[in-house]
Amino acid sequence: MNRIHESMKDVKASRELKAATLQYLERQRGRRARPIWRRGLAYALVPAMCLLLLFVNGWHYMYRTPISFISMDVNPSIELEINRFGRVVAAEAYNEDAQNVLRRLSLKNKPYVQAVRSLLEDGTYGRYLKEDATLVFTIVSDNADDIWKELDSIDVGKSCDIQIYSSDSQCMEEAHLYNMSFGKYRAYLELAEYDGSVTVEQCHGMSMGEIQERIDGCRSEHEQHHGAGTDTGRGNMSQGSTGGENPGREDTEQGTDGGNPGREDTGQRTDGENPGREDTEQGTGRGNSGHGHHGGHHNR
Amino acid sequence: MQGGVALKSPEEVNRAVEAYADMVRRICLVHLKNVHDTEDVFQNIFLKYMLYKGSFENEEHEKAWFVRVTINACTDWLRSLSRRRWLPLESALEESGIQDNGSKEVLEAVLQLPEKYRRVVYLFYYEGYSAVEIAGILGKKENTVYTWLSRAKGILREKLGGEWA
Repeated sequence: MNRIHESMKDVKASRELKAATLQYLERQRGRRARPIWRRGLAYALVPAMCLLLLFVNGWHYMYRTPISFISMDVNPSIELEINRFGRVVAAEAYNEDAQNVLRRLSLKNKPYVQAVRSLLEDGTYGRYLKEDATLVFTIVSDNADDIWKELDSIDVGKSCDIQIYSSDSQCMEEAHLYNMSFGKYRAYLELAEYDGSVTVEQCHGMSMGEIQERIDGCRSEHEQHHGAGTDTGRGNMSQGSTGGENPGREDTEQGTDGGNPGREDTGQRTDGENPGREDTEQGTGRGNSGHGHHGGHHNR
Repeated sequence: MQGGVALKSPEEVNRAVEAYADMVRRICLVHLKNVHDTEDVFQNIFLKYMLYKGSFENEEHEKAWFVRVTINACTDWLRSLSRRRWLPLESALEESGIQDNGSKEVLEAVLQLPEKYRRVVYLFYYEGYSAVEIAGILGKKENTVYTWLSRAKGILREKLGGEWA
């Protein structure tokens, strides 16, 4: 024994200190005995949250990115943007009538078939689906066929004329430059094939039924002038001949010759092989309002 | 090594607290300035023991483990500046619960030594470790331990007179 030992031998851990320590240890034991996923929850959650965030981000990106577009045109021109899950991510109005419809109707996040149905069932929208109206669905999509089938199977329950077309994204972009739905723009392009004088602005103020009437009018006019050899570019209306007199939209870029007014030069063409076309078609177009596709006769 | 997340049983922990609490308390006293620090460090040390996954060859091994862990815990504690509280020496002495004046005098002298001397003095004179053993526990060279011990002896002799040890 030395004095240092002597001096310290009475220094002891108090009973309270030991008890407090044992208590503390048992608390820690309880905490640490938990499964690892609860013990280190905060730490385990960090990578999990990162992954989740990435996943949610990616999913959200996929969700909000439209891959398909449906233009519904009667007079209201509405475009539905559809994501890869078949849900509507946006519904755009391209005229005032469409605005009136969409103001009261929420189509976002609905499956597109359901969105189309609720449009057709909507009172305001229904007012446009009169007997002499034409409802045109125009699809821009990589799987337009599937959408076409879906739309085709919808029971519209109205007696108006229904047509389904597909278009492409380039047309869609052009249409949007004119602030027009690509459905109506497609119809305008078709009309412009017959009537070089028609302008986008004119079509803006026309309903699809009216445009269709003029197309039909022009077509019959055309047939009178050129015989049966017409190809309107609409598959089931084709009557066999694909002769150069009535070029489809595709031909226009190549600078067609005099008899084939293309999209590019619409409005300027008054020469060539169709003299006096302008005055005749107005008359015949009106009178000859052929409902060739009446009653759900679908065209692509 | 014991595998897994197995903790030491409550019985083992109880036994260790009974066996080493006093020693840990004394090492804490040698290093720390007040009883609150002691409590925190105290608990940490036994928590380390409870979580320790290795096994001990014998009691000596276990005791040396406690010495080393306690010293490390104390120095870690002091190193964290934010917690450092400069309390007068008297409070540490007061809290030690020592009544005897002679013991108080010695302890006061020991506590006034620089930390590294305090440590070796305690291990050498109280725990009865040899300089070689101390060198092993602290991870220092034997010669260093000898030097510290002799310097500490010198200082203590000066303060307490020839017959302090």
